[in-house]
Amino acid sequence: MPPVVLASQRRDGRQRRVFESVFQIAVAQPAPWSHSTSRRLPNLGLAPLGDDHAVPSLRPPFSQQQQQHHHHHHHHPQYQQTHHAAHGPISLHAPGHPQATPPTQPSLPAPTALQAHNTTDQAAYDRAWHVLTAHIALPASATNADNSSGTLPGTTTAPSTVPNHPHPQQQPSASGRSKGTGRGPRGRREVPDSLEFHDAFALVANAHSLLPRATPHPAGGILAWHLGQVRAHFAQHVMPLLAGCAVVLDDGDGNVDNDAAQEGRDSLEGSLQQGRRQGGRWATGRKGNLYERHMVAVMSSIRTLEAALGLYFDGLNQLLAGFARLAEVAPEAARDAELLNARFRRDLHALVGSSVSEGLLRSVKAVVVRLAGTVLGIPSPDETGSEGTTRPAAPGPGDLQVQAARERLVELVQQLHNVGLAGERFQVLFAEVMDAIMSAFVTGAYAGLWSPRDPRSFAAAMDKVSRGASSSMASPCIASLDGWVENHFARLSFEVLTCISASSQGPLAVSLADLKTYQSLALSRLAALRIQELFDIVLAWPTSRPALEDLRATITTTARRKQLTDSLARALQTRLLHPGCSTLEILQMYISIIRALHALDPSKVLLSHVESGLQLYLCGREDAVRVVVAGLLASPEEMRAARKVNDVWRQQQQQQQQERQERHQGRGRRRDEAGGSQHARLRGVAAVTRSPAPSLHGRWPSTPEIKQNTPSQSETRHPTKLIELALLLNDPSHQHRQQRGGPDDADLDPDLDWDDMSWLPDPIDAAANYKRPRSEDVIGTLISALGSAESFIKEFAACIAERLLIGSSGGGSSGDPHAVDGGRFFEQELRVLELLKRRFGEALLQGCDVMIRDIWDSRRVDTGIRRAWGRRRQKQGRGGAAATPEGRGGRGGEEEEEEEEGEGDGGIEYHARILSRLFWPGLEREHFLLPAEVVQMQRRYEKGYEGVKSRRKLTWLNQMGQVRVELEMRDRTITVDCTPVEATVVYAFQGEGDGDDSKPVQKSLDGLYETLQMDEDLIAAALRFWTTKGVLRRVGGGSGNAYVVVETLGQQDATPTDKAPAAAAADEPPAAAEAGKPSAKERARREVYWRYVQGMLTNASASMPLAQVGMMLRMLIADGFPWSDEELGAFLGEKVAAGEMEVVGGRYRLVKK
Amino acid sequence: MSFTEDNQSSALGNVQANKLGGARKAPEPGQNAAKRLQTELMQLMTSPAPGVSAFPSADGNLLSWRATIEGPEDTPYSGLTFKLSFEFPSNYPYAPPTVLFRTPIYHPNVDFSGRICLDILKDKWTAAYNIQTVLLSLQSLLGEPNNSSPLNGEAAELWDKDPALFKTKVMDRHKDVEDD
Repeated sequence: MPPVVLASQRRDGRQRRVFESVFQIAVAQPAPWSHSTSRRLPNLGLAPLGDDHAVPSLRPPFSQQQQQHHHHHHHHPQYQQTHHAAHGPISLHAPGHPQATPPTQPSLPAPTALQAHNTTDQAAYDRAWHVLTAHIALPASATNADNSSGTLPGTTTAPSTVPNHPHPQQQPSASGRSKGTGRGPRGRREVPDSLEFHDAFALVANAHSLLPRATPHPAGGILAWHLGQVRAHFAQHVMPLLAGCAVVLDDGDGNVDNDAAQEGRDSLEGSLQQGRRQGGRWATGRKGNLYERHMVAVMSSIRTLEAALGLYFDGLNQLLAGFARLAEVAPEAARDAELLNARFRRDLHALVGSSVSEGLLRSVKAVVVRLAGTVLGIPSPDETGSEGTTRPAAPGPGDLQVQAARERLVELVQQLHNVGLAGERFQVLFAEVMDAIMSAFVTGAYAGLWSPRDPRSFAAAMDKVSRGASSSMASPCIASLDGWVENHFARLSFEVLTCISASSQGPLAVSLADLKTYQSLALSRLAALRIQELFDIVLAWPTSRPALEDLRATITTTARRKQLTDSLARALQTRLLHPGCSTLEILQMYISIIRALHALDPSKVLLSHVESGLQLYLCGREDAVRVVVAGLLASPEEMRAARKVNDVWRQQQQQQQQERQERHQGRGRRRDEAGGSQHARLRGVAAVTRSPAPSLHGRWPSTPEIKQNTPSQSETRHPTKLIELALLLNDPSHQHRQQRGGPDDADLDPDLDWDDMSWLPDPIDAAANYKRPRSEDVIGTLISALGSAESFIKEFAACIAERLLIGSSGGGSSGDPHAVDGGRFFEQELRVLELLKRRFGEALLQGCDVMIRDIWDSRRVDTGIRRAWGRRRQKQGRGGAAATPEGRGGRGGEEEEEEEEGEGDGGIEYHARILSRLFWPGLEREHFLLPAEVVQMQRRYEKGYEGVKSRRKLTWLNQMGQVRVELEMRDRTITVDCTPVEATVVYAFQGEGDGDDSKPVQKSLDGLYETLQMDEDLIAAALRFWTTKGVLRRVGGGSGNAYVVVETLGQQDATPTDKAPAAAAADEPPAAAEAGKPSAKERARREVYWRYVQGMLTNASASMPLAQVGMMLRMLIADGFPWSDEELGAFLGEKVAAGEMEVVGGRYRLVKK
Repeated sequence: MSFTEDNQSSALGNVQANKLGGARKAPEPGQNAAKRLQTELMQLMTSPAPGVSAFPSADGNLLSWRATIEGPEDTPYSGLTFKLSFEFPSNYPYAPPTVLFRTPIYHPNVDFSGRICLDILKDKWTAAYNIQTVLLSLQSLLGEPNNSSPLNGEAAELWDKDPALFKTKVMDRHKDVEDD
């Protein structure tokens, strides 16, 4: 037995220590028996360490088992015995105790035992103690008995531990404000006045003087005891009720009838119901509203806690009143009381604060989110319903709803603070909420809103950018955000924090420094948002310029700059650099990036970080160079058109923006579903706006849809050329510089020294608006980004060749070809040429020089030849021909058609353009038979030329050039500019001599093929051309390929010039249109590819699978092989069908001849 | 002021070659063999010469080519097709390619392992030559062997003495090779 006992003792000691560490009872309840003999165990909640008697209070205070134990102590001694055996440590007295109490009741000293001891001081003290504790004992069920030393049975004769054994009847059912004790029901409020209480209090408080032989509690003992019972009460009764409050939320019907709540349903019930009534009032508006249910839960909890704390403080106040009375007698005790009072309150709040359930916190959070959101202008989701498109905005000063919410929130916080819920956890929660609100506000209010408050014109914006001038005024977004933080965010923080900190933690009010911190936090969030949006900002450039202002103000650290470049580079990869984007779009984006990033950072560092990926990708786009060159050479008409489109587009956008802002300002509900008529690109932006923070991928689809949705609009917005470059090239500032520098002494002009990377403006010239940021040099950046000089020059040569041939003939009708062609008409070509020369050097571009000189020379030679002919005047026309100085070359056939019933060859005016074969790209000869008159003319011209330039020969390129044709029909005359091919075809329809006969001329395609020896596709195309002009008409239905001259319009039901194009297009079989499509160039290309395939299968390997053929072609063709394997497969399939190849086992091979 | 080229004539040559597929291409320092070979391939494809063709080998190595020569009419090789291999040094075109007949051929200037005795493939090589000119030279060599410095003495002898026997030997020796 003893070993068992010892073990039990040890275990109990350990248990107690654990218990103490958790419930701090050792501090609150000093054990007065520690030095005394163990003659009895007064059950003051704790057994002394040195005492081997195990007491029930060692058990956790809530132990049900312990309660039973107490019950049976008094009424069932026999049972006690068994119990004894079962629970040795509880009732066992240590063997080593000489003054052991009677073994039957070891732990509950009986009155007899006390009397026997004859220690009257102690008895008096204990009695007084009991009186005190009985007065302040909390109304509770039996469960709070076990740690209550106030139930000391030994102090009274009667087994009157009523508090320990409350009968159901005795338990105060509802009021809770009054509590009956064993001495008889007594209103609690009366207690402090009772003499008995104060006598007892005085006795206990001054125990050491009045009852010197008693072992007194320290002065705070009674308070500590109170705290202990409060803890127990709180844990047993209040917490279940609080849990019940959370249940309210879950059930939704406010039913808290669960066991835990029922057990403790006393005075708190009332307050709970009050809270519920309160909640009910809130809930009347909209049933099931989540926020309101949260509010109910919070309010219920608050009421519950208020009631509970009321109880606790009631007891405390009694004690304090006791101390106050003692003040004159024992000033020390009173002084202690203040300290103890403060400690009690602190402990209690800590208790409440640390026992808050997650559910309650959730509810508090929900409520705070809602209220703070309203105060700060964040629309709550259920407020706006399903629309949810209202943007957050700083509420106006007169918004009643906001004021109500603000008051409500402050009141709530005050309440929370009063019940001790506004502790650290609430502060964390509040901080979280405010943080989330700030993010939500920034994203919601400013995403996609780039607010061109002062819409500048495109030119002005460009001008500004190109000069690198930065607008000094803060961007509207930043200004409004700062205002919001200052007037709303910081204010609310201040109010709430003041509420919380007023009494407990000293002044914590929001200082000015805090305000600055808030503002910088908000700003950094705006920066993050803008960085995320940067791609769209660039896309919308220059309308989005204010957004960049935001960014510029916020991009202040290197880390953020890096974040910006990384983010943009990523966005580019996902949204731009993929096969779905045309090269033109990519280049336009690139230009926008150059401009936007330069506006952001004139030092060009950001740009250099972003563009590398772009450049790499563009190098893979084989048409990139072509697009750039075409853009550079865009005609003035195209530029004008582009400007106009830009203007229209910008107007639309402004309009849209205004609408958006209006909508936004009015906080109106917008549901127009991207109003069908709006511009497609705007729609993309709008989509972005609506969803504040979608992923990059999520946002992407809005941009491609541009194309499908409104083709006409997007066509205008997306011209087929990179007009921006031409606009830039013709920018007034550029021209200004060119005039200053002049193309001839350009080397002297540092502005045009493209290789000087460290160029800085001349200080003298750097007056106000001169400073041109070199780094924004869009054209230069593009050209250098596109890789090799060769490819660029090659493309440029091809492009310029085409333009020279076409453009020059346009000026031919005027008398002075030199002035027209050379002086004015090629101005742009020359400028681009100059630009390229500076970049790549003269030598590489010599070919282009030669080309231009050819055109000029041709003019002179042409004039000379005609002069030699003796100036036969013809009516009209002109033409261009090409010839080469050496042997075979090209000639742009040029002829003038007479009227259909013309007077022979006499009426042809013929001009030739003489080209140097070696310097002109793409001079392919197309064979067909020109009309005899034209051939005659060519002969004559050749002779004339050989007269002028001896030892040189002309080779005619019949398909090039331009013809003005005048067609005299029976009822009308048509004048058309067309190609030589078309002219030749229509010439074949010329009336065969018998002028006015009734039958119009009819030819079939096959017949024309015979007579003209022209490629069928070309003939078909020419016939279509004339059909659309209303000159020819197809006969024989859809499948017929005969054409007849439309001599009189009466033959057709309407004016053919209007109707014919549509009709022709309609009845033209699409296949034919397709077949007619491939240009001579395309056909030549296919021919070359075919040779590659032949060479490959002849030499490398006799048979190859399709994929390998494609791979080889892609690898080996220097200019790139644009076809996919599918296209290649189709191409090879044609060859197989033509019998030139065969497929064996999936491998292609040539058919052996 | 020039960008990559220093001298005008070379740039001009480049332009010519690029634009018009000129048959000749001036040597240019710094242009590596692969690029040159790619250009040559383009030239071969755009302006092929009759009876000869060439293409990089199927493994995609640009420095290794296969070529085909058709025997010229009016020669003992008429109607026959000969396969050759070209191995280009990395400093091509400043050094000649190594050319071998892969099809067994009976020819005074070709030995039995296919090696060729042709001055332009040895000391007379200049960078002005290219694949096409080599192939055309070889084609003409078929009809006009250089019997003064034969690798196959018997063939050189028979060429003049007994054309019929020569023809027979040619036909005996010739057989189509498989792809590798």
